[in-house]
Amino acid sequence: MNDAELVARSQQGDTDAYDQLVGTYQHRIFSLAYRITGNREDAWDAAQEAFLKAYRNLYGFHGRAAFSTWLHRIAVNAALDVVRRRAAQPPVPLDVTLRSLDDPADEVMRSDLQQRVHRAIAALPVEQRVAIVLRDLQGLRYEEIAGVLRIPIGTVRSRISRGREMLRVMLADLAPASGEGRTA
Amino acid sequence: MRSMHVTDALSAYVDGALNEGERAHVERHLETCEDCRHHLSVLRDLVTTVRSVAPVAAPEGFRAQVRARVEQIGARPAATRWWPRLPMPWRVLSAAAAVLVIGIFAVNLLRPEGPVAMREFRGPGESPAVTGDRMRSAAPSAPEGAQRAIPGQNTLALRRVIRTAQVDVEVDKVEDAAERLLRIAEEAGGFIADSSYAETNGVPHASFVLRVPVPRFAGVVASLDGVGRVARRSIHGQDVTEEFVDLEARVRNLERHEQRLLTFMDRTTKVSELLAIEQELTRVRGEVESLTGRARYLSNQSDLATLSVAVRQKTKKTSGALWDFGATLQRMQAAFVATVRQLLAGVETIAVAASALIPVLAFAAVGWVLFRRWRMARI
Repeated sequence: MNDAELVARSQQGDTDAYDQLVGTYQHRIFSLAYRITGNREDAWDAAQEAFLKAYRNLYGFHGRAAFSTWLHRIAVNAALDVVRRRAAQPPVPLDVTLRSLDDPADEVMRSDLQQRVHRAIAALPVEQRVAIVLRDLQGLRYEEIAGVLRIPIGTVRSRISRGREMLRVMLADLAPASGEGRTA
Repeated sequence: MRSMHVTDALSAYVDGALNEGERAHVERHLETCEDCRHHLSVLRDLVTTVRSVAPVAAPEGFRAQVRARVEQIGARPAATRWWPRLPMPWRVLSAAAAVLVIGIFAVNLLRPEGPVAMREFRGPGESPAVTGDRMRSAAPSAPEGAQRAIPGQNTLALRRVIRTAQVDVEVDKVEDAAERLLRIAEEAGGFIADSSYAETNGVPHASFVLRVPVPRFAGVVASLDGVGRVARRSIHGQDVTEEFVDLEARVRNLERHEQRLLTFMDRTTKVSELLAIEQELTRVRGEVESLTGRARYLSNQSDLATLSVAVRQKTKKTSGALWDFGATLQRMQAAFVATVRQLLAGVETIAVAASALIPVLAFAAVGWVLFRRWRMARI
């Protein structure tokens, strides 16, 4: 069954159909939330909120955009909500944040390189972070990003460009080592 | 040379997101610019590095928790919903507001006449004469109009308006009409001042003059519809307030003059003077009588309205045939036209009502669109 059919059945209140949609998208959406919020607890909250919000507003989804684009949009906003809430709260002590980043149970974080990149992305200004995550980690095309964020394509381009410029500075020492094989 | 613009373009160039012209431009530039070539390779390495970050899997139990929460929310009535999902109090409030607005519009539309203020602007000397169909709506306002206080004048002077009406009625039997007119006049507290009867070419006709108290005038005019078919009707109102006030003032002056003449008469002893004063007194008295007579006439005329009713017997079509086909056809045509007219009037009413609602609907539509935008933007 494809997305459209599952969406239609979910709109009728079929929770099994919606569960299938969650199964299809949970990793992508969790990943997205994780890269935007920077840690797993917030990612869990944001991703869960995104799926619930999508379910509650499913009747407003008419299939003009692809379901995945629509879901991305909701997830980005949910993640940004969490980030903003976090910013409004008293700052979390650094060691707590670091502990959640350096979770020993997290296999992905074992690699030093992965950790460096993750931190660099997390350090980007929010707008550029979202654009970079959508482009380079979620693999969305520029037009799709423009649709998700509801901004002009030129803005998408400049946000990605500026984000990469900042990443280049932050990861300057990594570049030659990892890129040697490609430049040839 | 590398500028910010070129950097911008390079990033999109790596993604293959440039259009034909831009790509050609960048490629031409790269051929000549060592800096940009270097920058491009750095950028490519960076993108590769960033993309090498492995996607994160949703943790164990995430899907199950989402499912549990979704089932808590329960089944939503889905695509059939076309009204905004508002919290209860908002829903009630907007429904109440909608009912209120529609109610106000309905009242405005269904009110038979325009705002009352529009009729207040008649100048005192102007004589409002209305004829034909328009009279139907104007007639009910006659009683107030006749005896209303002049606005903006402190003394509550009564308006004195002489109201007259000419009505032609076609009836089946002139005798019955005469009887009914008498009853109408008496019920209104008036009387038949004049009546005449004649017959021309075998068709009887009569004319009556009804005098009825002004407050009952409109009612009487309307009740003439019950006597027969009203073929012509004209109503005339003449405002004589000014003339009336003027008469009163002149009478007062003349009476003062009379008093002075009387005191002169007491003092004088000469016969010639006495005669002159006597003569003047007679003249003044005569004038006073004439003026009071005029005032009484005006007062009477404005207290009692005058209706001239011409009654004519309907001419019966007395063709010798068994069945008057022409007449039937005429009646059918009349009925048909009447129905069409009523239908058109109904359509017109609906169209007018709809056009009055257009601004409201436009507002509602804008509000609805804005609300949707706002709600979708929040998702």
